[in-house]
Amino acid sequence: MERVKWLDSMVMPTIAVLAIVVGYPIVYTIILSTQDYNLVATEAARFVGADNYRKLVGDPIFWQSLRSTALYTFGSVAISAALGLAFALLTERFVGRRGRVARVLLLTPWAVPFVVVAFLFRYMYLQNGGAINALLLSMGVIAAPISWLNVSTLAMPAVMVANIWAMTPFFFLLLGAALAGIPNEVIESARVDRASAFSMIFRIKLPLLRNALFIGGLLMIIANFNDFAKIWAMTQGGPGYSTTTLVIYVYRQAFENFSFGYASAIGVCWLLLLLLFAVAYLRALRLS
Amino acid sequence: MNTTVVVSAGAPKMRTTPLARRFGSLVRAVAIIVALTWSLSPVYWMLATSFKTELEAAELRPTIWPHAPTLENYTALWNGSLPFVSFFLNSALTSIVTALFAVVIATPAAYALSRARFRLRRPIGYAILIVRMLPLIVLLAPLYLLLLHAQLLDTRAGLVVGFTTFGLPFAVWMMKSFIDAVPIEVEEAARIDGYPRWQILIKVVAPLILPGLVTTGAFVFMEAWNNLIYPLAFVTTLEKQTLPAALVLTFSGQFKTDWGGMMAAATVTTLPLMIAFFAVQRSMVRGLTSGAVAGA
Repeated sequence: MERVKWLDSMVMPTIAVLAIVVGYPIVYTIILSTQDYNLVATEAARFVGADNYRKLVGDPIFWQSLRSTALYTFGSVAISAALGLAFALLTERFVGRRGRVARVLLLTPWAVPFVVVAFLFRYMYLQNGGAINALLLSMGVIAAPISWLNVSTLAMPAVMVANIWAMTPFFFLLLGAALAGIPNEVIESARVDRASAFSMIFRIKLPLLRNALFIGGLLMIIANFNDFAKIWAMTQGGPGYSTTTLVIYVYRQAFENFSFGYASAIGVCWLLLLLLFAVAYLRALRLS
Repeated sequence: MNTTVVVSAGAPKMRTTPLARRFGSLVRAVAIIVALTWSLSPVYWMLATSFKTELEAAELRPTIWPHAPTLENYTALWNGSLPFVSFFLNSALTSIVTALFAVVIATPAAYALSRARFRLRRPIGYAILIVRMLPLIVLLAPLYLLLLHAQLLDTRAGLVVGFTTFGLPFAVWMMKSFIDAVPIEVEEAARIDGYPRWQILIKVVAPLILPGLVTTGAFVFMEAWNNLIYPLAFVTTLEKQTLPAALVLTFSGQFKTDWGGMMAAATVTTLPLMIAFFAVQRSMVRGLTSGAVAGA
């Protein structure tokens, strides 16, 4: 079709809006990160150069929250992907109305808001009267009720279980669609070659799902890096700093200590780290 | 999708004996039941608890179903001490306005990125995709100051600004994937018939991408509805809060021991999201991976 000049300019509204609500804040955050800016302090912000960044390098809580973020993100994503794959393989041959219903039911957790996921699990994790303790006690797995979210070694795994519950449907949906997209001839010829159930899954189907797994995995890694709602509503980063991820730490610095400068410096580091992932994602897209 | 599955399921299996096959389907059935239980029991627990009295919900040995079912928790939301109706309206309004705004602004951009052939098309497309992946937390402090200076802190408009930071780039990429799916020949045929370009857009393209508009809007709505960090940071007056933030803020007060009330509030918070989710469930995969075909 012939080129129409005004068509090109249709991107302008989007660019203008994004420049104001994203572009300007990013520039601003970089400037803030070089300042000693306290929202509630009376004295004006002053330029401190790389001081915030020096402070960050020597801040043990920053490094701890970086490790927690990695654990939370990679742990949850890996387990959710495995579970989602298992669900997808299980329902692969489901047809008709019953199959559709089963699929939709397995997707339900995805439709539960993050904050609700958090409170729901908080209720189920209660030491006194929590459903999970009651269940484990009656099965004899534990001898006494455990206060899951108040023990520093258990809080992180407990939050991750809630996160995995909420995230598994994403992988189930994505991998289910990818499985259905595998050409029938591939499966048929493997069957003719008498491939065992095991090699059918691990040698034939899994390699064909690699792309979907990779793209879905990266998307969820980015989403989990940024996850705030579930952790904040369950533990607020505690007990101690045991569930403080970077997002929680930045929020605390900004809105509990009001040190916008320091929070911005952490944000900028975070931004650089995420850009690495974004670039990896874009490259992967081009290759696939 | 289903036809291919039927064919492979009906194909003869050569290696398995009837007994092994029976055992296999038994294992499969058990696994499905486990999967369904894992996925549904927390949701069931939320619903069941929301119909329990405060006393029963706090029972040391939890009851599996409400023994004295009551609607009290729901009516208390309506006429209780908290402005729950305002929370709901704040959430609904800000999410709907964000969705409409994002779709209206994003669709022309998506069309240009899909169809026009200008030099900066690719870089602009990638830039928008990267914005989509930005950590919201980076924007938190500067956006707060921006809204402060624009006197939009503690307003619904300020929240819409916040939600737009992730809603708009997402909408651009999702709409682009829908427009990419419209064959260019359809537009060319109308062109040969002598229609000017703007009429083609309105009369030919718009009806074809209408389902995409609805789906994209629903997705942005869901993300905005889910967001906690912006309302928590940008809104200070409780009456102006959204549902998720209100749940977090009021929990330490009224709901501390009232888990029945809490779960009723949670159920009401979940319902709009459920409805939006199941309405667009079919185009979910495309939505979640939109941008996945960036290079194409």
